[in-house]
Amino acid sequence: MIVSDEDLMLECRKGDMSAFELLVRRYQDALVNYIYYTINDYHRAEDLAQETFLRVYKSASRYEPRASFKSWLYTIATNLSRNEIRNRARRKTYYLEDMVDENEDVYHSEFMVDTRFQPDILYEKKEREQLIRKTLKQLPENQRLALTLVTYQELSYEEISEILNCSVGAVKSLIHRARQNMKKLLIKAGIGDSVNAQI
Amino acid sequence: MPKSKINDCHNFQTQLSAYFDNEVPTWKRHIIRWHLKRCPNCSDQYAAIQQTNKLLNYLEPVKTSDLFLSNVMSRARTIRTYENARRSVFNRIGSVVENMKTWIRGNIRAYNPFYMAGFVFGVVMMVGVTLYSPQIEKLNPFNQSNAETSEVHQEKLISFEVIPQDQPKRFLKIR
Repeated sequence: MIVSDEDLMLECRKGDMSAFELLVRRYQDALVNYIYYTINDYHRAEDLAQETFLRVYKSASRYEPRASFKSWLYTIATNLSRNEIRNRARRKTYYLEDMVDENEDVYHSEFMVDTRFQPDILYEKKEREQLIRKTLKQLPENQRLALTLVTYQELSYEEISEILNCSVGAVKSLIHRARQNMKKLLIKAGIGDSVNAQI
Repeated sequence: MPKSKINDCHNFQTQLSAYFDNEVPTWKRHIIRWHLKRCPNCSDQYAAIQQTNKLLNYLEPVKTSDLFLSNVMSRARTIRTYENARRSVFNRIGSVVENMKTWIRGNIRAYNPFYMAGFVFGVVMMVGVTLYSPQIEKLNPFNQSNAETSEVHQEKLISFEVIPQDQPKRFLKIR
């Protein structure tokens, strides 16, 4: 029997650490990925995901199952990601992922480990992946958040509207514009048209 | 929905993203599907959305490090210990006092005459009960019953008083 997130949170409120552990296990990968796609820095994404879970734990005593737990969790993560993006812009901080040259082989160790593909195919694959990440990063903050939530976290428009604190109509418009912009940027990067042939 | 609207490609194109994500009502879904079969321009737009989504899904999800869970749990346990220490007896008393202060301040601040009258009455009653309680009555020197009891004690003391008597006089015979 699968216990719902809300029930686990209520158990956590009573001081059950195993319930909290189960929640962390459930969402750790999704949350780290979400923050990583948003801020484009893996190590910082892990830190922020940890911070998100700790904030959830701290507020467990005051938790009331009014809204969905998932929306609440992603709202905290979104706020932390937004703060990080703003702080980075204010301090003019650059991260390793941003500074690495496109042609530089940063994933060399991963290439060697992954034996499913030939090295040249792997290189091409990683290069394309890097290009897509860079393109995604060029989207405006809200569009990027909405697109990440709908594509990678598979959340409904209603849940996204709760997370981004806007109407469902606004979310529809945000995602539509995000996809249009993404398409233009991908074509500009040279991978938009030939995608069907490549994948 | 009027026919002119249905044929409006621009309106359809703004709905295509929501259609792709299954976020349009069923009746609208049928209309959009019907339109996509007949309009090559909108059909191309929809294909572009599918293509973009395919590319986005090309990104492989990153894996969380092995230490992630243990780090979160150890930090959560630290928070728990800290919270337990904070909720010690003194802090609980402090929080109760604080709550009372807030409650009183909240009620008195409004200068509600009923609250003020009740508060004054309460204070007078408490002072009255403290000063004029039955045990304190005994200590009151002006009380009549207290004066009587003191006289009785004095009488008792007098009754037990030892009065030294004079030595008997001796009459000597003079020879």
